[in-house]
Amino acid sequence: MKKSLAAVFRKELIHIFRDKQSLFMVLTMPLMMLLLYGYAINLDMRGIEITVSDRSLSPRSGELIRHLEATEFFHVTVAGGGVSDVGDLFRSRRAQCVLEIPGDYADLLAAGKTAPLLLAIDASDPNGANFIGNYVARVVSLSFGERQGLFALEPRIFYNPDMRSAPFFVPGLIALILLLICALLTSIAIVREKETGSMEQLLVSPVRPWQIILGKVLPYTFLGFLDGLMILGAGRLLFRIPVEGSLLLVMAMMLIYVVTGLSLGMLVSTIASTQAVAMLATVSLTVLPSMLMSGFIFPVSSMPPLFQLVSRIIPATYFLEIIRGILLKGNSLADLYRPGGILLGLDGILILLSIRAFRIRLE
Amino acid sequence: MGIREGSAAVEVRELTKRFGDFTAVDRVSFTVGKGEIFGFLGANGAGKTTTIRMLCGLLAPSGGEGSVAGYDIIGEYGKIKGRIGYMSQKFSLYNDLTVGENIEFYGGIYGLTPGEIRDRSGELFAIIGLEELKGKLTASLPMGWKQRLALCAGLIHDPAIIFLDEPTSGVDPLSRRNFWKLIYRLSDMGKTVFVTTHYMDEAEYCHRLSIMKGGRILEMDSPHALKGKYGAQNMQEVFLASLKEGS
Amino acid sequence: MGRIKALVIKEFRQIRRTRAYLGLIFVAPFVQLIVMGSAITNEVKDIPLIVVDGDHSPASREIINRFSALSLFDFRGVADSTVRADRLFDRGEIKAALVIPRGFERDMGRGLSPQIQVLIDGVDGNSAGVSLGYITSMAGEIQKGWIGSRATGAGAEIVPRFYYNPGLESKLNFVPGLIGILLFMITSMLTAINIVREKELGTLEQLMATPLGGIRLIVGKIIPFTVLGLVQFSVGLIAARLVFGIPVAGNLLLLYFMALLFIMSTLGLGIFISTVTSTQQQAMFVAWFSMIFALLLSGFFVPVGNMPPLVQKITLLNPLRYFMSVLREIYLKGTPFRYLLPEAAAMGGMGIGLITAATLRFHRRLE
Repeated sequence: MKKSLAAVFRKELIHIFRDKQSLFMVLTMPLMMLLLYGYAINLDMRGIEITVSDRSLSPRSGELIRHLEATEFFHVTVAGGGVSDVGDLFRSRRAQCVLEIPGDYADLLAAGKTAPLLLAIDASDPNGANFIGNYVARVVSLSFGERQGLFALEPRIFYNPDMRSAPFFVPGLIALILLLICALLTSIAIVREKETGSMEQLLVSPVRPWQIILGKVLPYTFLGFLDGLMILGAGRLLFRIPVEGSLLLVMAMMLIYVVTGLSLGMLVSTIASTQAVAMLATVSLTVLPSMLMSGFIFPVSSMPPLFQLVSRIIPATYFLEIIRGILLKGNSLADLYRPGGILLGLDGILILLSIRAFRIRLE
Repeated sequence: MGIREGSAAVEVRELTKRFGDFTAVDRVSFTVGKGEIFGFLGANGAGKTTTIRMLCGLLAPSGGEGSVAGYDIIGEYGKIKGRIGYMSQKFSLYNDLTVGENIEFYGGIYGLTPGEIRDRSGELFAIIGLEELKGKLTASLPMGWKQRLALCAGLIHDPAIIFLDEPTSGVDPLSRRNFWKLIYRLSDMGKTVFVTTHYMDEAEYCHRLSIMKGGRILEMDSPHALKGKYGAQNMQEVFLASLKEGS
Repeated sequence: MGRIKALVIKEFRQIRRTRAYLGLIFVAPFVQLIVMGSAITNEVKDIPLIVVDGDHSPASREIINRFSALSLFDFRGVADSTVRADRLFDRGEIKAALVIPRGFERDMGRGLSPQIQVLIDGVDGNSAGVSLGYITSMAGEIQKGWIGSRATGAGAEIVPRFYYNPGLESKLNFVPGLIGILLFMITSMLTAINIVREKELGTLEQLMATPLGGIRLIVGKIIPFTVLGLVQFSVGLIAARLVFGIPVAGNLLLLYFMALLFIMSTLGLGIFISTVTSTQQQAMFVAWFSMIFALLLSGFFVPVGNMPPLVQKITLLNPLRYFMSVLREIYLKGTPFRYLLPEAAAMGGMGIGLITAATLRFHRRLE
């Protein structure tokens, strides 16, 4: 019996390595995605185009402009005498924000008063606008020296002190790739056998159905798992992703999640009749929701309540929590009993569902 | 649009097609006269389809020369396309169009005006017998009718030569016989018919026949003469005997 | 002309008979816009926060009250020690904590400027930055209230004014972008699959045996799919208006003209994909893969300006990058054509280039 399982397993590996498309998906795509996400997704703004509308033209306003120029955040254009049409500057994309220094700026400061500085920001990118507002405010307040207030704030950023994007995205990418490889490739592989009729050929052979399925999915499990480790390694080398917790725990959790992907792929394969449909169904039913609603990029807490509910039944949500927890926060098993338990529970449900769906198909 | 004055319908010399190391068609020469039914008999992979595709301007030859309807197959294949009809071995009309819509489409593609399409398709439908099926979705037709429809589409622009690549594969015997009746009518109308087949009984219907194997022509003559040469009762015997001799 | 007309009529007849097309064009944009438009947001809301109060004074209580009243935070209560806060951080139950030290009020009275520790979970760097910004400005307001209107010496105060999107709503940024993404997806994928399907069925070979020629064949494919793309685009505009209440600030005609240029480039891409693949599955795979690339390098999630210089240069080859900025410019800012010339030229140029390349490939005889 073991021999027939091995035969199916070996045949599946041959398929993968003969088919350039599968090979590409398994080996090249994870790395390309890693590079793309690692380098392209960077939320730190640099070289913000700021136009200073200087109506004061005084030494004091000149001093403020020099402070802005001294930071790496801004690319400063000075419009001496003021800007008449802010909208035109924004529409021609010559400026992202316009700082208006009023004519009585120097006088107000000399009188020991607080001068209002109007900052017009192009908020068509609201996230960027928020950052620009904070940056300018910080530079302006620093330019007056640290004034002693009644109390001060002392920020301490945990887990990712430089607030870099890569430590946030790379663990998420592991979750995404595992799902992509396991769910997508399994569903396509099973449906391909259906399409070509070789599934029936296998079913009339003495190999048991569960052996066929296991033999088919095991190679993908293995490859998915390897891909996960590959991303982790490359992420560590290229983007200095920390591994605070136990690597063994990471791998154990990855195994649990791989099972999720496989059972999702099997479920899809029972409803899809052609490879193209399997591909579309897997992408739209599993990959896209996991990408959009799991907190991979977009914070779940900011979504409408209905979507927050949806995110609770997506396995990726829990796996993300687990893998970010272990890698960045150094979580141990004791911290992860909740998401880990839920993930196991979802796994159980999915396996039951896919076995049921498979039986129905076979009968 | 007919065949250029003073030319044979098809004439090739030393026609060759290589795909990498593999020679699919190996220095083939023959001439087909006007109004002739010329058959290519051979097993799968003998080079029949590759030859037809070179003649129809779908594939550039790797060597040799030839003309179809009096036009050079290398330099003037654009002119050839308007003068020939082509029916490939795979049914290749649109299953999701109706019979009438398919004909209308191919008429349009060959540059016929709506009036011409109406007249011409009326004529063809009467000959081929598709009149009642005009509004039917092509997907719902049985294979035999699909074949007739494909022939009809290939004839819409009144070509002088028609190439049929295994037109009757996958069709029941009765439909096949009816299809050959149509081919005879075309020949009577003065059309040249170039047909490939692997059915021995069909080979008997051709005016002249060539037997292909491994990209080369082993025999070429009328069925009657070939049977005489090998002292055979039917084409099956001729075919097997010629293959034995050729190898 | 007659030959192209025959092709176009045929294409529309096939489209009409394929239910999936209608779903893809009329239903999918609505559903996808609603789902993605709601899910994709980088606004930071409901930050789970606790306060560790070591002082138990009227001052610390006021700080707690002010923060718990703010809807930006999801106030999870007061803790007695930082040990508890640490554990909550580890379990991911809170993302921010304020630690008010013992003797806070007394030290303020003495003018010692005591420090409140702000602890933030930095895993999501973007959210962490935004949270810190909220907390800082809240603390500033509290202080201002305590100091009152007393003069505090010379200084300047930033009064921000947000143009085009005063509420800083993510959806204003993402929904127009999504319309572009959906348009890219449908037009490039459908064209590629449509042509490869004809290849698989053998009808393409049949067409090649006619005197039609590559150019006419491609024009005959471009016209129906351009119409489909424009219809789908309109459905997207309507959905954005009805579902999200986002109107077009700029010139609608200009928007359609730009969409037309964009569709040229995506159709060109689709046709090109069809010439390099031989099965529908391959075509889909390549189309899907180019989609992911185009999406990430379009400036949809992350402004192109934030990317490293080399990656920024790569984005110049991405038609979606240009359409992304065109959509946002016209939709939100009402930017006139003269400022969008570079984008128009790039998209038009790419469309012509890709279509020419595809036509040349078609022209060669089947090998």
